[in-house]
Amino acid sequence: MKKIEAIIQPFKLEDVKEALKNIGIDGMTVSEVRGHGRQKGHREVYRGQEYQVDLLPKVKLEMVVPDARLDEVVRCVVQAARTGKIGDGKIFVYEVAEAIRIRNEDRGDAAL
Amino acid sequence: MLTHSASDPMQDQFLIRGDAAAVQAARTAEVDLAVQRAFEEHLQPRFPEGMALLAVGGFGRRELFPYSDVDLVLLVRQEPHPGPERDALSAFLRTLWDQRLRLGHSVRTVADCCSLDDRNIELSISLLDQRFLTGDDQLYAELSAALPRFFHLRRQDLLNHLCRLTRVRHARYANTIHHLEPNVKETPGGLRDFQLVRWLSQLRSSQPYQMPVPSPFPELEPARALLSMLRCYLHYRAGRDSNLLTFDAQEEIARLPFISAAGFAEWMRDYYRGARLIRRAALHWMETSEPGGSALLAQFRDWRSRVSNSDFTVARDRVLLRQPGQASGPEYIKRLFLFIARHGIPPAADTRRRILDSLSSLEPLLNAGAGYWPFFKELLSLPHAGLALEAMHETGVLPLILPEWGGIDCLVVPDYYHRYTVDAHTLASISVLEELPAAPDPLRQRFAGLLEEVESRPLLLAAALMHDLGKAARSGNHVPESVRLAEAALTRLGASPEERRTVTFLVDRHMDISTALGSRDLEDPAVAKALASRCQTEERLKDLTLLTYADVSAVHPTAMTPWRLEQLWRAYLVTHEELTRELDADRITVPPSASYPPQLAAFLSGFPARYLRTHTEEQMMAHLALHQKALVDGVAVEIRREGGNYILWLATRDKPFLLASIAGALAGFGMNIRKAEAFSNRQGMVLDSFVFEDPSRTLELNPPELDRLRLTLERVLSGRLEVKRLLQNRPKPPAARRAHLHPSVTIDSEASPSATLIEVVAPDRPGLLYDLASAISSSGANIEVVLVDTEAHKAIDVFYVTSGGKKLSADQQSELKQRLLAACSPS
Repeated sequence: MKKIEAIIQPFKLEDVKEALKNIGIDGMTVSEVRGHGRQKGHREVYRGQEYQVDLLPKVKLEMVVPDARLDEVVRCVVQAARTGKIGDGKIFVYEVAEAIRIRNEDRGDAAL
Repeated sequence: MLTHSASDPMQDQFLIRGDAAAVQAARTAEVDLAVQRAFEEHLQPRFPEGMALLAVGGFGRRELFPYSDVDLVLLVRQEPHPGPERDALSAFLRTLWDQRLRLGHSVRTVADCCSLDDRNIELSISLLDQRFLTGDDQLYAELSAALPRFFHLRRQDLLNHLCRLTRVRHARYANTIHHLEPNVKETPGGLRDFQLVRWLSQLRSSQPYQMPVPSPFPELEPARALLSMLRCYLHYRAGRDSNLLTFDAQEEIARLPFISAAGFAEWMRDYYRGARLIRRAALHWMETSEPGGSALLAQFRDWRSRVSNSDFTVARDRVLLRQPGQASGPEYIKRLFLFIARHGIPPAADTRRRILDSLSSLEPLLNAGAGYWPFFKELLSLPHAGLALEAMHETGVLPLILPEWGGIDCLVVPDYYHRYTVDAHTLASISVLEELPAAPDPLRQRFAGLLEEVESRPLLLAAALMHDLGKAARSGNHVPESVRLAEAALTRLGASPEERRTVTFLVDRHMDISTALGSRDLEDPAVAKALASRCQTEERLKDLTLLTYADVSAVHPTAMTPWRLEQLWRAYLVTHEELTRELDADRITVPPSASYPPQLAAFLSGFPARYLRTHTEEQMMAHLALHQKALVDGVAVEIRREGGNYILWLATRDKPFLLASIAGALAGFGMNIRKAEAFSNRQGMVLDSFVFEDPSRTLELNPPELDRLRLTLERVLSGRLEVKRLLQNRPKPPAARRAHLHPSVTIDSEASPSATLIEVVAPDRPGLLYDLASAISSSGANIEVVLVDTEAHKAIDVFYVTSGGKKLSADQQSELKQRLLAACSPS
């Protein structure tokens, strides 16, 4: 099993969720996060006051998938989240040792 | 969906008839028997005397639900000793646990039962419902003799404790009954509140020698029966003590054979109406059971009582009617809600009851709110309008004035994001805006700043009140229906066409910004342009931003996260920037309508596109007439009174110091400029409009002064009179009301392709615009476009200036900035 962590633009969340749903991935955790990579922040001026925006709003998606579906899911997220501009985000993939469904203690792929 | 069970005939009967009382009676009898048998088996041999078994709480009342806890008191003459006595007790409890009963037990002597322990007052309260099951009846007789005196002596402590616990519980549920997925036991208006009413009535009627009994509450009985049925169903459905009425359960219950309402939204309305009755009774009993409170609180309440007037008394921080007989008079009722909105003091339970009793006679007199706009507008302008609207909702007056409200009253729209019914969400959106100025965090303070700047707070709040009216249609897209209902309501209430236009515009576009936040890239200039086009003007952008803030924040207490606040602010900034940029760049090049006469098309050519968005065709024709007069006479001036302000329209040929001259002439007459716009067209003609106030009422008290002002303006503009002479005798401006606002001057060369943008934010004062315009003109710059606004103490002036037809150089910008800052602070 692999854990996929995708940091994407907030306005792409619905597109990515829809694309994942279309390939049968319904379960995920979504968090509102802030951060920056190469995109960095920017300066805003309003009414003569300057605001330095260092950390930009992003959305973090987390999901665990069977090994066999990793490439398909990653491809799906990339396609749905891409605008081609700096700031589109990143995807990280981790090994998962075990998954357990709390309700009935299913384990492994059955718990996903 | 819960189906019939082969092993539980009681459950099967319930699913056919929905009779919770039968389930409770059978369940109680069953548990009574089990407990008595276990007592006889394990405790009776060890304690032939000196121990009695009492049922307390719901078990004591014979109101056990299928999976309720079973609360017992083991009344003893003395504490059981370790060894065989304790072993017998353990065996008794184990036997009952093995029968899957969830036991709550305590071992107490008579003295324990008749003493108040701050750490366990719940025990004393549970004894209000005690019932003898088995054991030493002599010991129980001793308790029965002592308990009434105990309750009578300590009743106020118990009343206070019950009220305090209830307030904490209500706060945990945001003090509202309108949860989309309520807990039928704990939510305000739930079964616990019904029991609270019984306990409070019991304690209030206590006598020293007689066990208190609760009063009957026949008016609450249908609501209690409904709640009991729901709790019973939820227990059977979950197979445990679960009281959460989820969306799934609501849909299932709607299909039960004994539910007659069409669809779950309809019978959920029955639920909320019942819960409202129970909560109202609970608040009434709490309010009349609690004493004055701490000395400090009493002092504060005493201070609040000073706002009492000939109509209303304020006592214990609640409004009471001095003339209860007038509760059926519309004028008196209007004054009551305005009083609440002004002072932020809720009505007393007695006041609410009297209004409720008068509703049938009030209804024809209120006439569906026809002509009530002045009242509504005044109410919405007051600092605690949300509290007043909530009181109007709670007492049933709001739907009499705004019948459209009836459609969203207690309306459930299944949505896993929303937490409250549509009416509660709507009222919360108004409270959210009212609480904004007191918000401590800097992120929210930005929005509080916007709220200070909105043109009309009553219109913004009216839009918030009406933004979801269309949800009653349950069509999927509620916005068009909300617009239709808002238009109908505002017309009936008597709002002006301009006010109707503003409110329906806001209702129509209240989803635009939140939709963009969720699905558009705010970095994309096309998104900012599209949003700017939807919002049309800066004023409406502010309104829509605040409406979005209120709408999202009212979804549930944690919906507006700091992350979302930042996103919303970013959307505001990019749209604001776009609107400011296009003020100069986006000019009218082709007639916006083929039906416009050629003279009008020529007149409009070259004006900023904003002009079209902020003026009606009727106003444009009036401006055209003024323009044509100016072509003949050189200057044309029109001044008219509108509301509390005066409006000046002026057409003339563009020339240096023009704006400064007009502003100076107005300041010389002691007028205070609130708003101004200056546009020039392709023919070099200028149309200026000013909104000004007359703080000394000079024009009102001396009508000939209006003609003198008009003449003076014409003379100043034709060069026959120097503005400086007018200003020589001008009184000194008063000190700024909010000294902490420091003037700021922002200069932006990128905003427009042809001019330099200058934004000045400064404390307002008479003559400020004259000083700023003079500073710009005397530096040799030309003012191309002006947008002046004043909100409370703050003047926000935007100028687009050029020098020799080009943008200002860096040196010119620097010099002008210093001049403007100096002009903001008159020495």
